[in-house]
Amino acid sequence: MALTNDIETIVDDRVDEGIFRVRREAFVDRDLYDLEVLRIFEGTWIYIGLESQIARPHDFFTTTIGRQPVIVMRGADGTAGAFLNSCRHRGTLLCPLRNGQRKIHVCQYHGWAYDSSGRNVAIPREDIGQYDEAFSRLDHDLVPVARFASYRGLLFASLSPDVPSLEEHLGDARIFIDLVADQAPEGLEYVPGSVSYTFDANWKFQLENGLDYYHFETVHRSFVDVLQQRGNRSQAASPAAHLADPEPQAQGTFSFGHGHAVMWSIGVPGQGPEARPFGRDPKLLAAANARFDPARVQWMLRHRNLTIFPNLQIIDIQSLQFRTWRPLGVGQTEMTSNCVAPIGESAEARRFRIRQYEDFFNPSGMATSDDNVTYEYCQDGFAALAAGDTQGHVRGVGAPPEQRINYGPALGLGSDSAWAYGPAGFGDESAFHTGWREWRRLMRRDGVAR
Amino acid sequence: MSGADEDPTRIATHLLSLEGLCLDRREWTRWLALYDEDVVYRIPAWRNEDEETSDPNTEVSLIYHDSRTGLEDRASRVEAGRSATTMPLPRTAHFVGNVVATLVGDGVIEAEASWNVHVYQPRTAKQSVHFGRYEVQLKKRADVWRISRKTIHLQNDRVSTVLDFYSV
Repeated sequence: MALTNDIETIVDDRVDEGIFRVRREAFVDRDLYDLEVLRIFEGTWIYIGLESQIARPHDFFTTTIGRQPVIVMRGADGTAGAFLNSCRHRGTLLCPLRNGQRKIHVCQYHGWAYDSSGRNVAIPREDIGQYDEAFSRLDHDLVPVARFASYRGLLFASLSPDVPSLEEHLGDARIFIDLVADQAPEGLEYVPGSVSYTFDANWKFQLENGLDYYHFETVHRSFVDVLQQRGNRSQAASPAAHLADPEPQAQGTFSFGHGHAVMWSIGVPGQGPEARPFGRDPKLLAAANARFDPARVQWMLRHRNLTIFPNLQIIDIQSLQFRTWRPLGVGQTEMTSNCVAPIGESAEARRFRIRQYEDFFNPSGMATSDDNVTYEYCQDGFAALAAGDTQGHVRGVGAPPEQRINYGPALGLGSDSAWAYGPAGFGDESAFHTGWREWRRLMRRDGVAR
Repeated sequence: MSGADEDPTRIATHLLSLEGLCLDRREWTRWLALYDEDVVYRIPAWRNEDEETSDPNTEVSLIYHDSRTGLEDRASRVEAGRSATTMPLPRTAHFVGNVVATLVGDGVIEAEASWNVHVYQPRTAKQSVHFGRYEVQLKKRADVWRISRKTIHLQNDRVSTVLDFYSV
């Protein structure tokens, strides 16, 4: 029987009994994968880019949501829109370019043309086309995506109208988007040089890895070795005391509705504010100190890895990365990675941000490359269906330590927000649960409304 | 020294070919010795379909090092075997051709070449090719030509899994 009829059996969610298990099939079964594309990637809010990519009227960029090509553009009147990138005439891909600025998009096949608001402005030789009267009653404009909205300059779209508002979807995860956006009074921009890459593994290995602190000292030991080598060579001055974190060393997570979660760390040696680009721009730091209380600025200086289900991770650590993905197959994923920066950042901080980003991220970086190989080991290892359920979703499910701090209320999180707290290196896994619950919710829905 | 010894195309071809062979043979120390200490080594990222990034201070590169220590760090990471990317390390075969070189000053050559690297991952039996163009500057010090600047233009930049100094 197809597992798609048996979604209930995939996630064994009995946290009160200390149990949370996900069947291996979730990562290797093709039928489940096909349903994910339909009900998740084409069924809910998907991050597609930054407002700053379409800053001017007639700016555009193209992307894919699930399997479907989309064009995002800003019209003459300044309004942004997202449309299916498919000519109304015979379905041809309308815009084959990645980005640019165009007042009119002309289909390469028969010349049908559309303006930057998606309106059809030309049908060549319509007068001698012997069209039936019914044709003139058709809407020839580009079809807009069902939902399109922006939060703090981050653009999201949904191919399904059956979604809550973006604000409701993001919920308290907005607070962690704010901690990034608030570093940038003039807004955020992508540093030129977007990187796309693939790995031969299921997208959910990337999804989980972004909330996995536990793997750092194993998978990234070679990266830590390089940092230590460099540290020995340079004998750099010790970090500025005034930037030192006053809170005790710790590692934890917050989980939100709709599958989002964040992991954070405090006081990890070598990962202090002096090692973060935001801590290196005195003007931006001063602007933040003027607008926000010290505890909030401290959060902006800490390491945070935020996952916005199902396709975005905002990694604000030694540099700031937005990475998104789309699934190409049950065992293959395409990633797109961008270095993100505050508009108007100092030249020195920008240069540092870029070097830090290059060191760590992308298949050419010395950390992400190890993650990518590890996902491939996972994909191959998960084929061992006979080995049964894994044991990787239960760190943090047992009794918490007596000494623990809930930073949630001070950050403005609701009192019922799930949180986990532990010493440095804790490696909570309970933050994976919200993503699986949202996975289950979307996978059980009856079809995608049109 | 005869004129033929100073033929820039011959010198550049020899150096780039030797570099490829050192990498394929995994002779990292010998490979590093082909570089000046203050080499600038860069693989630009692509801004869009047609343009690469050009200013490393304001734009992303796939790899950027402004001294040989950056390459030494990468080589030692591979040598140490504590990275999953080395378990196992892919096998490579470098090819360099279309070398066009000019002597631009006393002991300075600028050259361009085409390159491709075939990469074979023994664990999965998957193979791929990276290809593009090199732009290099070579400098002669104490009778030895070394690479003082290398820009690796990677034409097929949607990489699978890993890209490192040994596969470009």
